[in-house]
Amino acid sequence: MLSLTAQASTLSIADATALAQQRGLAHNPAWLALVHYRINHITGDYTSEADDPRFFLSPKGKHSPGAELKATLQAILTPGQGNKDARCRFPARDHWLRQVLGIPQTPVSCPALDAWLKKLDTAQVTLVFAASYLNSPSSMFGHTFLRLDPPSSNTKTDLLLASTVSYAADANATDSEIVFAYRGIFGGYPGVTSVRPYYEKIKQYSDIENRDLWEYRLNLKPQEIQRLLWHSWEVQNIRFDYYFFDENCAYRLLELLDVARPGLDLTARVTTHAIPSDTVRWVVDAGLVDHVHYRPSSATAVAYQIQQLSPQEQILTRQLADGTLKPTAPKVLALPPARRAEVLDTTYNYVQYMAIEDKWPRKRVAPLSYQLLAARSALDLQSAPPQPPTPEIRDDQGHDTFRFSIAGGRDSHRNIVRISLRPAYHDLLDSPGGYRPGAQLQFLRFDGRYYPDNNSLRVDQLTGVEIRSLSPRNAFFHPLSWQVGFGARRRMIANGQEALTPYLDGGAGFAWAPTPEWLAVAMGTADLEISQKIAQGYHAAPGVDLMLLHQGSSLSAAAGVRSKLWMASGYSKREDTAYLRGDWHIRRNFGLFTSLDRTHYLNRYRTSWLVGFHTYF
Amino acid sequence: MKKLIAGAVLLGASSLAFAQPGCGVGAMIWKGQSGIAPHVLAATTNGSFGNQTFGMTTGTLGCNTNEAVQSMAMYMNNNVNNVARDMSRGQGENLTTVAVLLGVQPQDRATFNQVMQAHFNTIFPSANTTSNEAVDNIINVMKGDKTLQKYVS
Repeated sequence: MLSLTAQASTLSIADATALAQQRGLAHNPAWLALVHYRINHITGDYTSEADDPRFFLSPKGKHSPGAELKATLQAILTPGQGNKDARCRFPARDHWLRQVLGIPQTPVSCPALDAWLKKLDTAQVTLVFAASYLNSPSSMFGHTFLRLDPPSSNTKTDLLLASTVSYAADANATDSEIVFAYRGIFGGYPGVTSVRPYYEKIKQYSDIENRDLWEYRLNLKPQEIQRLLWHSWEVQNIRFDYYFFDENCAYRLLELLDVARPGLDLTARVTTHAIPSDTVRWVVDAGLVDHVHYRPSSATAVAYQIQQLSPQEQILTRQLADGTLKPTAPKVLALPPARRAEVLDTTYNYVQYMAIEDKWPRKRVAPLSYQLLAARSALDLQSAPPQPPTPEIRDDQGHDTFRFSIAGGRDSHRNIVRISLRPAYHDLLDSPGGYRPGAQLQFLRFDGRYYPDNNSLRVDQLTGVEIRSLSPRNAFFHPLSWQVGFGARRRMIANGQEALTPYLDGGAGFAWAPTPEWLAVAMGTADLEISQKIAQGYHAAPGVDLMLLHQGSSLSAAAGVRSKLWMASGYSKREDTAYLRGDWHIRRNFGLFTSLDRTHYLNRYRTSWLVGFHTYF
Repeated sequence: MKKLIAGAVLLGASSLAFAQPGCGVGAMIWKGQSGIAPHVLAATTNGSFGNQTFGMTTGTLGCNTNEAVQSMAMYMNNNVNNVARDMSRGQGENLTTVAVLLGVQPQDRATFNQVMQAHFNTIFPSANTTSNEAVDNIINVMKGDKTLQKYVS
């Protein structure tokens, strides 16, 4: 038995190694977190997620927590230059090992590390969540990074200049979307941790990608912040292969927090995928957040600012942006100064938005922008247009993303029970709080039905991916709405039988919002189904899809008609559907729903209805 | 103090091949965003495309050796549109950042804002003003103001 009290300062490498072994430190959660080991639950083997030999001091380090620990102790306790190098490269490991083994934290000079820490000058850490944006439903997962805030007492503190730490795929700019998607999902991109100023992030997310930012200030103690920074230093520029679904930005940040506050074990909550908005929920649940600040994107702000103008001012704004009215025109000068300032400010914001979104050319944008700002600066008013209020429900406060539903009803003359599992993410009739209006993304959804009368089960539909993006058009904004989906569904075939048929659906059209909570949608669609049981082995259908949608905080409802003309050579069959659906959002993670469908296809009318509930977790 | 702030900015820009901040013409205002339209998946999966968003041109304008000015030049290069906007309004976080980078103390920031707004046309004489021209003009305007000249002398 080793006694530490007397021997602490002189603990030899061999003694330290023996003591570490005796205490099982190699498999201590703190050590596993520091070297990013994950256990394979089947074989019991450990592997580090770092894909970079520079991260290991032992050649066996990637697969052996024990060998890496031994090599680390060896390196940090050997006197001389080697010791200094290892301690400066792995300050978090060094500090932790000394602490648990009772080895004195003898000072070490690390000029590069010290300069880095001094530059970062971190008093507080803020988790920043970039929310999803419409028309890019794949962004629905969001993105997270950390911001390192300098002390607020310093008059030189400015949060735009604060540094951010993020983990990203180091993608090749010339790769196409498809290559990017493939390598992002299946691996192949190195992921690196990088440090950038916050203003660059704001420009990227807020100004260019139209994503609102949520800033969650964490209640980390100084010692925890120190550990977080030390570990950021250790992993900076170390390669960790990037995987879109699990080993992504959000996952790496959870790891940093696990190192900062041992025992949090946030990464244990990650199973198959780490959706950034879910990881924010976990961080909130773990009690790490003491303050939340909302930073609306440029697009959110300009849409709100336009709404704040009177109808006459909106017309002026439109004309100013079109260039049919000059900022010095009598109609503009007739406005009282405060109103004139708001109209000019809003117009400028709108022009900047359109320059990016609709790619207005510089020869249009630059002179117009200059005239607007010059006219604005002539007004001696230090003011800005109104900012959108913080949404009542944050993204992390919306319903959970995994949904299980069960419903009973009738299909034609048969009783049915329908069971539905949807691992992710949100559909138009789910409770809208915390999600973007008009956006839907579902994937890997399973729908099955059970016929109690003859005790039989069958698969109703398998949804690979279903995306709908419905954005209203008005005098200022004119986005396209679209939808796409693939999977397999039941298709009635000629003899009255049904066959599970692979499909690919697409559609594009327009949406309008008569009031903020209602949306009218008209789309043209093109669908394809492939099955040996239908006429030519496939058929395809042009069609129309009309819908009226209401998304409310307690009730959401949709009514619509769809008409398709299924065609193959020498064959055409029309399918018409009318439907009504309603969801009653009772609690955040519980709701009731009902649906009524009437279909006409192959000379048959078919009516079905369902009543049931959704639970989310 | 100035050194510290400069450091915070330089840290982020260290990967840019930019030997002498404050030299060259800087960024053209309203230069358009072509080439950085959202790369849908890239944006969502956090692809980083190196310097694509931070294209920086170097030219022949004189170099300012004041470290605070260099930091501000680098910030302006990245954010000239928003700084011009805030300047026309006489307030805003981007304008505050410029004040912070120049070391303007909190008690003088209201003056700074007002002076910047009043001299908007001097600082941005045309729609083709570049960020570094604006930096030089800001310095000159400050030199001509009795409250602000102490920060640029």
